[in-house]
Amino acid sequence: MSIRLEHVDFTYMQGTPYEKQALSDVSLTINKGEFVAVIGHTGSGKSTMVQHLNGLLRPSKGKVFIEDVDLAGKDPQIKACKQKVGMVFQYPEHQIFAETVFEDIAFGPRNKGMSEEEVEQQVREAMNFVGMDYATYAKRSPFQLSGGQMRRVAIAGVIAMKPDYLILDEPSAGLDPGAKEAIFERIMKLYQARKIAIILVTHSMEEAARYANRILVLSKSRILLDGTPGEIFLHHREELRQASLDIPQTVQLVELLRRGGLKLPEGLLTEPAVVAAIKKVRGLH
Amino acid sequence: MQPLIELQDLTHTYTDAENNQVLALQKINLQIGQGEFLAVIGANGCGKSTLAKHLNALLLPTEGKCLVNGMDTLDEKHLWDIRQTVGMVFQNPDNQIVAAIVEEDVAFGLENIGVPHAEIRPRVEAALKAVDMSAYALHAPHLLSGGQKQRVAIAGVVALEPRCIVMDEPTAMLDPLGRKEILATVKKLQKEKQITFVYITHYMNEAMQADRVIVMDQGRIVMQGKPAEVFSRVAELQALHLEAPLAATVAADLRRAGLNLPQGIITNEELAEALCQ
Repeated sequence: MSIRLEHVDFTYMQGTPYEKQALSDVSLTINKGEFVAVIGHTGSGKSTMVQHLNGLLRPSKGKVFIEDVDLAGKDPQIKACKQKVGMVFQYPEHQIFAETVFEDIAFGPRNKGMSEEEVEQQVREAMNFVGMDYATYAKRSPFQLSGGQMRRVAIAGVIAMKPDYLILDEPSAGLDPGAKEAIFERIMKLYQARKIAIILVTHSMEEAARYANRILVLSKSRILLDGTPGEIFLHHREELRQASLDIPQTVQLVELLRRGGLKLPEGLLTEPAVVAAIKKVRGLH
Repeated sequence: MQPLIELQDLTHTYTDAENNQVLALQKINLQIGQGEFLAVIGANGCGKSTLAKHLNALLLPTEGKCLVNGMDTLDEKHLWDIRQTVGMVFQNPDNQIVAAIVEEDVAFGLENIGVPHAEIRPRVEAALKAVDMSAYALHAPHLLSGGQKQRVAIAGVVALEPRCIVMDEPTAMLDPLGRKEILATVKKLQKEKQITFVYITHYMNEAMQADRVIVMDQGRIVMQGKPAEVFSRVAELQALHLEAPLAATVAADLRRAGLNLPQGIITNEELAEALCQ
């Protein structure tokens, strides 16, 4: 149960003066059950890479497999495989188009050929997952909702397709801290309940450190680093700097404290872990 | 010294699509000094953007007053003077760029207000220099990065020589590098040209660098002060669904556990200093 890229190259506008290589020799496997954060500077190839995962872009060279089906081959399963990968683009609320919240979320399941009863079931479940009350919102126009709520509708539309792999391209961009927290709480709930793979493209090192169990760092159209948040943020500082990326605030704080003589252990990534460690060395409870 | 902008009991109500009366701003009193860098934070829907749109008469108070350099925004004859005193920069740079070449885009506003031709070129050049984009004067804006595009949009406003620039989440669509570029540009313009900035943001680390922070909730100003004062009130910020900086949150947790720490800690450096003595 995985998506696999094998030696993928991708060049935009091939054969024109604007030709630009966006991916070079990218090989990777993402398994169901993983929460992968993809980080990298603008133009590093993040978005190009994730658009290969559901066949939106075809590699100029190399191969893409979804559950061992070669997307460039002639397997009759190709369409069904692509539908296992859901994609929430940046600012997904810009893609809302229907007159009611229900109709917008129902669009995908209907296209998949589900019966009306099944469609309603999926819409109810998806709205429940993103924390929107069916009775209150189903018949409302999505365009009169707040930005955070519109984004939940857009995410529900993808969740209703029951993806096994869910790609989220900066799902918290432009939201206030409360709405951000709410979106991630829902994503984590979905991840834990359905054991799917989440692929999160983000500019926030805090989000990557807090939610992911694996981090891919892209730089100059290649995978520069691939590891756990601990490995990446604690042992690859110089590479991150060269890729113009920051490290999480927590790691910066712990580093300052250790340099100042506080005997904190290595490997602290989250705020509660940092607080607990400081309390321990200071003998507090 | 007379403040550049003064809001007196400013209230704004409007009728929404379902015919409800919405009280977007309630009796706001605020003075903004010449050359001040004021950050405005608050959850979505708290009235930040509505407030910003009053500062150059895009919206008018339904009660109370908004005075810009002494001019009342309700007085229509001051409209163009007010708009030239206070410029605006919005979230999405792509919606603010009109021309196919950077320098033409910056010149657009000047042409519109009838600046003599001979004066346009030096003002465009100066504005691009002020935002560090001179090298891109002849580039096509759509090929620039987000941060660069937003700096072109800022140059377009700077060329009009406003005394105040209102920025409504100017970095929301930018990557971390772009965000740093914008903040550096703001500080440079504040220092070199004494431009006043009203800066709306969801990024607390940006607001931390302002001279003063106001926090809004449900159409009111609920907290204000220097960043160290506002951001060390962790529990209140969290109750408003806002984030306090990491150092302030950790310091609050440690104080609760009985550790004696000085007040006003908001940066990692300040916390490290307090803990490592």
